[in-house]
Amino acid sequence: MSGSGIRRLVALLLVCPAALAAQGPDVPARLADRGLPPELAQRVLVVAQSAVARGLPGDAIADRAIEGWAKRIPPARIVAAVEQYAVRLGDARDAVGQAGIAVPPPEMIVAAAEALGRGLGPVQVGAVVHAARTPGAVAPGLSVVTALAAEGLAPDAAVGVVVAALRDGRSVEQLLDMPSNARAMRAGGMEPGEVGRRMMRGGGPGGERPGGVGPRPQGLPPGMPPGMPRQGQPPSPGGHRPPGGG
Amino acid sequence: MKRNDGFGPEIQRYLDGDGAAEVPADERARADLLAEAARAYGESLPPLDARLDDAVMAALRARTPLVAPTGWRWFVAPQSVRIRPVLVPLVAAAALALWFLPRGAVQDAAPTSGAVAAAAPHDTVFVRFDLSAPDARGVAVAGSFNGWRPESVQMVRGVGGVWSVTVPLAIGEHRYQFVVDGQRWVPDPTARALVDDGFGGRNSVIVVGPKGVVRS
Repeated sequence: MSGSGIRRLVALLLVCPAALAAQGPDVPARLADRGLPPELAQRVLVVAQSAVARGLPGDAIADRAIEGWAKRIPPARIVAAVEQYAVRLGDARDAVGQAGIAVPPPEMIVAAAEALGRGLGPVQVGAVVHAARTPGAVAPGLSVVTALAAEGLAPDAAVGVVVAALRDGRSVEQLLDMPSNARAMRAGGMEPGEVGRRMMRGGGPGGERPGGVGPRPQGLPPGMPPGMPRQGQPPSPGGHRPPGGG
Repeated sequence: MKRNDGFGPEIQRYLDGDGAAEVPADERARADLLAEAARAYGESLPPLDARLDDAVMAALRARTPLVAPTGWRWFVAPQSVRIRPVLVPLVAAAALALWFLPRGAVQDAAPTSGAVAAAAPHDTVFVRFDLSAPDARGVAVAGSFNGWRPESVQMVRGVGGVWSVTVPLAIGEHRYQFVVDGQRWVPDPTARALVDDGFGGRNSVIVVGPKGVVRS
């Protein structure tokens, strides 16, 4: 192989990852693959392209349309839903931008949009974004905030717990374990306020950990209810009841 | 000179013109006779064409190689490769980049981008879904983790009409619903809270952590 051939090979190897990373999924092909009618796909594509032009993730628009089509939602409602979702993505991008990230990655915008859709305000979203040490921690952080809120914690308290954990440098895995810890404490009869205070102090279901929020010892949190999964064992939720009378 | 032994060394020296060779007189006479006969035979041959050398070389240049170095033969035949040593670390760096970077790209490009997946695909937890639906003929689970494809995760009916399935999910947040009899979408009754799906329905949300799963 000649020197120029080697140079071409090296250039190709260096360029390929960037090219692959820049390639997004083909939105029209994805919509067609899922069986969306051409007219609906075209209208969704217009919304997606408009979103991309504003720096928003068009893939998330396509995902939302695919979800609606899978649920057999009428096309007109799908279009209305994706247009509304695009607006929310824009709000999410603004909230993230106000937290200091001028060009947020698509995953961060989507996570912020989900958080806004679940009742968090732009200030709360921005607090989580601002506290995250890495962009990859924002999405799980926002997810944990809403999960903690679902466990009964006040939104501000949930945000405070997550912000403290992020500032303390907890890993994504540790963040994502916080909802199950909160669930365990709630199952043990603890009030949401006490759950929040205990988690702010770095405590788990078994008690407080001296030293406040910080890396806690690894291992199975004690006191997990029967429905919580064990490592290497599928989780099994608690009781069952028929869905909607079915 | 013996018949079967050919010329001896001394005879060969004599024939080569070495006058100091020690050759008996009778042998020398026979050698002279043979040399004269060979010279006479050579002179009797027709002269060679002066252009013979050029014709032979031209024919060799125009001749196609018997084995063309193409296809599989090219791969199995030894080849000479010239590489500048300074390029070796660059090639190694490029190979490492190829190994690591496309994984994130593929993950981003997955149809489940609506899920707030927070970790690499290998960071998965096996999650069991259950739904009590005694009257159902079939139940599936569809969500952001499978592109909302009910056909991809079918649940199995168990005792008492409880349908269940175990799915490996990446740690992170996923939204999902159950699909009863292929057309009725219902949220997970064990989920603590539901989120608006934007279409007038409610999605269940599951947060998958390394050691715990919370349906909220």
